[in-house]
Amino acid sequence: MLKTIIEKEIRDIIGSTKFAVTFGVCAVLILLSFFAGANNYQVSRARYEAAKTENLRQFAGLTDWFSVRQHRIFLPPQPLGTLVTGISNDIGRTTEITGRGELTPDDSRFNEDPLFAVFRFLDLDFLFGVVLSLLAILFGFDAISGEKERGTLRLVLANAVPRGTYVLGRLCGSFIALAAPLVATVVLGCLLLPVFGIALTGGEWLRLGLVLLAGLLYFGVFLTVAVFVSAVTHRSSSSFLVLLVVWILAVMIVPRAAVLLAGRAVEVPAVDELDAQKAAFGTQLWREHREKLSSFKPTQNDDMQGLMDEFNRFMNDLADERDNKMQEFAGRLNEDRQNRQQVQRTLAFSLARISPAAQLSLAVSSLAGTSLELKEHYLQEATAYQAKYAQFMKEKTGINTGGGMMVVQVRDEGDEEPEPIDLGELPVFEFRPVGFARSLGAAIVDLGLLALGNLVFFAAAFVAFGRYDVR
Amino acid sequence: MVATLIGKELKAIVQSPKFIGTFAVCAVLMFLSVYVGIREYQASVRQFETAGRLTEQRMQQQSNWFSVTSRTHRAPNPLQIFVSGLSYDIGRFSEISAEEGVKLRHSVYADDPIFAVFRFIDFAFIVQLVLSLFAILFTYDAVCGEREGGTLRLVLANAVPRAHYIFAKCAGAWLGLVVPMCVPIILSVLLVVVFNVPLDGGQWAKLLTLIGGSLLFFTFFIVAGVFISTLTRRPTVSFLLALMVWITFVLVIPRAGVLAAGQLVTVPSVAEIEGRRDGFAKAEWAKFYEQMAERWHDRNAAAEPDSTQEMDDEQMWNRMEEEQRARKEVEQTIDDFESKLAADLRRSREAQERLGLSLGRFSPAAAYQLATMSLAGTGIELKSRYEDAFNAYRERFKQFVEKKQAEDGMAGGIMITVSSEGGFNIQSSREGPGLDFSELPRYESPRTTYAAALVPAVIDFGLLAFYTILAFAGAFYRFIRYDVR
Amino acid sequence: MNEESTAQEQPMLEAAALTKRYEDGVLAVDNVSFTVMPGQIFAMLGGNGAGKTTTINLFLNFLEPTTGETRINGVVTHREPLKAKQHIAFVSENVMLYPNFTAIQNLDFFARLGGRTEYSKTDYRDVLLRVGLAEDVHHKRLKGFSKGMRQKCGIAIAMLKNAPAILLDEPTAGLDPQAGYDFIKLLGALRDEGKAILMSTHDIFRAREIADIIAIMNRGRLIMQRNAAELAGEDLEQLYLQYMAGSNSSPENNQPGAGPCSKQ
Repeated sequence: MLKTIIEKEIRDIIGSTKFAVTFGVCAVLILLSFFAGANNYQVSRARYEAAKTENLRQFAGLTDWFSVRQHRIFLPPQPLGTLVTGISNDIGRTTEITGRGELTPDDSRFNEDPLFAVFRFLDLDFLFGVVLSLLAILFGFDAISGEKERGTLRLVLANAVPRGTYVLGRLCGSFIALAAPLVATVVLGCLLLPVFGIALTGGEWLRLGLVLLAGLLYFGVFLTVAVFVSAVTHRSSSSFLVLLVVWILAVMIVPRAAVLLAGRAVEVPAVDELDAQKAAFGTQLWREHREKLSSFKPTQNDDMQGLMDEFNRFMNDLADERDNKMQEFAGRLNEDRQNRQQVQRTLAFSLARISPAAQLSLAVSSLAGTSLELKEHYLQEATAYQAKYAQFMKEKTGINTGGGMMVVQVRDEGDEEPEPIDLGELPVFEFRPVGFARSLGAAIVDLGLLALGNLVFFAAAFVAFGRYDVR
Repeated sequence: MVATLIGKELKAIVQSPKFIGTFAVCAVLMFLSVYVGIREYQASVRQFETAGRLTEQRMQQQSNWFSVTSRTHRAPNPLQIFVSGLSYDIGRFSEISAEEGVKLRHSVYADDPIFAVFRFIDFAFIVQLVLSLFAILFTYDAVCGEREGGTLRLVLANAVPRAHYIFAKCAGAWLGLVVPMCVPIILSVLLVVVFNVPLDGGQWAKLLTLIGGSLLFFTFFIVAGVFISTLTRRPTVSFLLALMVWITFVLVIPRAGVLAAGQLVTVPSVAEIEGRRDGFAKAEWAKFYEQMAERWHDRNAAAEPDSTQEMDDEQMWNRMEEEQRARKEVEQTIDDFESKLAADLRRSREAQERLGLSLGRFSPAAAYQLATMSLAGTGIELKSRYEDAFNAYRERFKQFVEKKQAEDGMAGGIMITVSSEGGFNIQSSREGPGLDFSELPRYESPRTTYAAALVPAVIDFGLLAFYTILAFAGAFYRFIRYDVR
Repeated sequence: MNEESTAQEQPMLEAAALTKRYEDGVLAVDNVSFTVMPGQIFAMLGGNGAGKTTTINLFLNFLEPTTGETRINGVVTHREPLKAKQHIAFVSENVMLYPNFTAIQNLDFFARLGGRTEYSKTDYRDVLLRVGLAEDVHHKRLKGFSKGMRQKCGIAIAMLKNAPAILLDEPTAGLDPQAGYDFIKLLGALRDEGKAILMSTHDIFRAREIADIIAIMNRGRLIMQRNAAELAGEDLEQLYLQYMAGSNSSPENNQPGAGPCSKQ
C-alpha cells in the first residue's frame, strides 16, 4: 500500500514540467556554485600565495634579524570556506606580527573588495537556505489541498487507505523524488571539485558530507511544513500564500531580526572605547618608563657591542614589563567584551534558531569551519604563532624585537660583509582549522534541531490530515 | 472603457483575500526595517561621537609632536537607515599619521561578526526581495488566470480592444498595489521625522528619489508578472515561471555577474601590495641608515676631536633635527610609492567592479540595488570616497604636525647617545611647551550633492525603466496574439 | 431563412462558407453556412469536438477563420471585431465570472464593458430577480455560488447588454431540471423581444422544445439543418443518432478533414 503511494508520488513528480524546470534550475545553480566556489578558491589561494611571497621578499638581502622587526601572517582560504562562506569574508585576514602586543587582524575580504559585498556570494548555504526551501514549498504546498481540489483525494480515500499511510507515502515519495536528484547533483559537484583543481582531505569530505546531510534535513523540514500547511488549509492557493509568508519570515526575517534584537538587548562595548582605554593605559605605561630610562646604568663602558646589547636587554625587559601589564589590562577589557559578546550571541542564536534557515546556516558554517568561531580560532592561532615568533627572535637576537625600543648599530664601511639571514628559518604560520570534533560539537545542536523539525512537522501533518475534511 | 477595466482590476486586487495578508506583512516588515535602521543609526552616531572624543583625548596625551597621530571615523549616514549598503562592510576609521598611508580598518562586521552571520534588513532589502515577490504574487495569473477562469472570453466578447485590456491590466495592478504600498512607505518615512533623524534638503531629495525608484522597481515586477502571465495558458505554469525569473533576477544574476568579474579580472590583494610597499620601504630605510652612518662619520671627523663634550646637548639635538628632516624625505618617497601602488590597485579594482556591476545590471534587481546605494551614498564608491577624504585630511594633518615639529623641535623626545668616549647617555627630554592643538585642522566628512548622487543612479533607474517598458511591450505583443479560448 | 415572415429582414447572425483549420492540421469547422434571423433561436447539436464551440469562437473573433466569414448584423467579425461585438452578448459554458466579486459587482463590470453605463442598482436587482436569483445572494461573492447560480448571473449579464444577438455555449450544461426549465422560459422571452439567439447544446430535448432551427454538427460539418415545423412529429433523438451514425460510417468522413481538403 505504502509502496504504491510512494511510487505514484515519485512518478507524479518526475513526470511533471514543474519538476523539469525547477530541477533544471537547481542543478545549474548547484553546479555553478561548486564551479564558482572552486574558482574563487583558486583566485584566493593565488592571492594568498602572492601575499606570502611578497611578505618574505621584503626581507630579502637583510643581514640581521634585528631588521625584520615585524611581518605579516594571513588567514589562508579554506576549500570548504568557499563552498560555505560563513563569516570568512567579513573578518580580518592579515595580521601584523611584531612579537608583542595584541593582534588585530585586518583586511576583511569585503572591506578589501567591496564589489563582492554588494551582492555577496553564491554558496551552498545560500542555495540550500533559499532555493531548496522554495523548491520544497513548491512541491509540497498542494500535497493535500491540491488533491482535494482536483478531487483525487476523495477517490484515493474511497479505498481502504489509512490516512497515516497516505500522508507518510506522500512525504516519502516527494522527498525521494526531489532529494535523490538533488543529492546526485551535489555529489556530481563534489566529484567535479578535483577536476576544478581542489583536493579535499578525508576530514573535509566528511564535513562536506555532513553539510549535505544538513541540507537534506533542512529540505525535509520545509517539505513537512508544506505538507502540514496543505493539510490545514482547504485551498491550495491559500496554503501557498501561507507558506510563502512562512518562508519569507523563516529565511529572510527571523534570523536577522533575532540578531538585531540581541544586539539591542545586550550592550557590547564598542571596540573604539576599548582601544582608547588601552591606548591611554599604554601611554601611561610608557610615560612611567621614560622616567626609568635615565636609571639605566651600564655595567661597563668599554665594549660598544656589549653596551648596546646591555641596553637592548634593558629596554627589552621594560617592554616585557609593559607588555605584561598591558596584556593583563587588555585581557580584562577583552574578557568583559567577550563575555558580553557571548551572552549576545547565545541570545541571538537561540532566538534565530526558531527558524530552520538559521539552524541550517549555523550548522553548515560550523561544519565548514566558517562560523563565528573562525574569528576567535584564527586569533588564537595567530597569538600562538606570535609567541613562537617571539621565541625565535629571542634566539636569534637575544631579545624580543617587537614593540619596544632598541638601538641597532649601523655597520661601518670597514666591517666585514655579513651573511644575509636565512629566511627559511623564520617560523612558518600554519593555520590549522577548527578540529572536526569541535565543529561537529557546534553543529550537532542544529543538526538535531533540524531532525526534530522533521519529526514535529511530520507529526503535525499526520494529526492535521487525520482530521482533514476531504469533501 | 479603460476606466471600467482598471476599476475592476483595482477591485479584484483589493478584494482578494491574499491582499490583506500580504499587504500587512509587507507593511510591518517595512516599518520594522526602518525602525531598526533608525535605532542602529542612532547607536552608530553615539559611537561615532564617542570615538571622535576618544581620539582627541588620545592625541592630547602625547608628549611630543613626533608621536601625534590621529584617527578619522566615517560619520554615520542617515540614509543608511533605508539602504545600509556597504556601510557595515567597509572599515569605520583610518589612522591618520605621517608615517602610514590611509587605510580603512575595522568594519562593523569584522568587529562584530555576529551581525554578519545573517546580515541586515533594510528598506531596500524589503523592497528588493519581498515587494518583488508580492508583485509577482498578484500578477502572475493576470491573463492566463482569467483565461482559465473563462472570464477572459466573456470580457472579450464585448467590444473591448485588446490593447485597452492589457493596458488596464497593468495600470489596474499598478494602482492596486503601488498606491496601498505608499501608505506604509510614507509612515516609515514619518518615523524618521518622529525620531528626529537629521536630514538636510539634499538628503530628503535623495530619499524621495529613492522611494520613487523603489516604486519603479515594484512597477517592473508588476509588469513583468503580467508579461509572464501572457506567456503561458495555465496559472500554475506561469507562477513557476515567474518564480524562476524572480530567483534568477534577484538572487542569481547579480551574484553570478560579480563572480564572473572576480574570475575575469584579477586584482592583487591588499596584503600583497603592502608586502611590496614594505619591501620598498625597507630598502629605502637601509639606504638611509647607510647614508646616516656616513654623515655622522663625516660630522665626527669634521668636529674638533677634543670638543666632543662641549658640543653636545644643543648641537646634538640640532643634528638630530637634521636627521629628522632627512627622515621626512625618505618617508615622502615611500609615501609616493605607496600612493602609486594604491592608485594602481584602485584602477584594476575599478575595472573589476565595472565589469561585475555591468554584468549584474542584466538583472533589474541589481540595477535597483545599485541605484539605491548610489543615492544613499552607501555603495561601492563609499570606500574610495572616504579614502580620498581621509587622504586629503592626512595631507593637512601632516602639514600641521610638521609645522609643529619644526616649531617645537625635538621637544618631548628622547635622545640616546652612545660613544666610546662618553659611554651611554640618555636624555629623556628637552624642555618645551605642552602640545597645542588649537590649530589642528578639522576633518570634514565628504558630502555628495544630490546631483552627484543622482548621476550614477539615473543610469540604473533608466535601465529599470527600460526593462519595465520592455516587459510591457512584451506583454502587449503577446496579448494581442493571445489565444483566449 | 426558411421562414417567410423573416425573409425580408437582414440576418442578425450569419456564417458563410465558414472553415477553420487549426495550426496542427485539425479541421474544426468545415464549410459551414447558416443564418439566424432576429426573433429566432438557432440550436447547434453535436458531440464533443463537433465544432460547435469553434463556430462560436469564430463569431467572437477569438479565432480567425481559415476561409469564409462570420457576420453579425452584417459586420464581418474578423474585419471589424470591435464593431461586431457591440451587437452580441455571450454566455459561456460553465460561467465562472470573478469569484471575489459579488453578483452585483460582476454585473456592473460587464454591463459597463458592454457600453451600458446607465444602469442603476435597481436595474441589476431586477434583472437578477428575473433570471431567478434570489435577492439574498445579490451581494454575496461569487465564489460560493453553485454552477446554476453562476449561469444565471451569466445570463443576466447577457440580458443587461441588451444586444440584438446572443451567443450561448452549452448554457444548460449542469443545470438542475428546474433551473433548466426556467432558463428555457427566459430564452423564449428573449426571442419574443426579437433577439437572434445562437446556442450550442448537447441537450436534444430542450433544443427541440425551444429552437426555431435545429442543426446537427459532426466533425466540423453541418450535416443537418431543419426548422421546427419540419421536425414536428419526428423523433429528434432517433434522427440525431441516425445522422451521427450515418456520417460516421460514411467513407469520405472516416479520415477527418480528408474530404473538405479538396474544397480549399
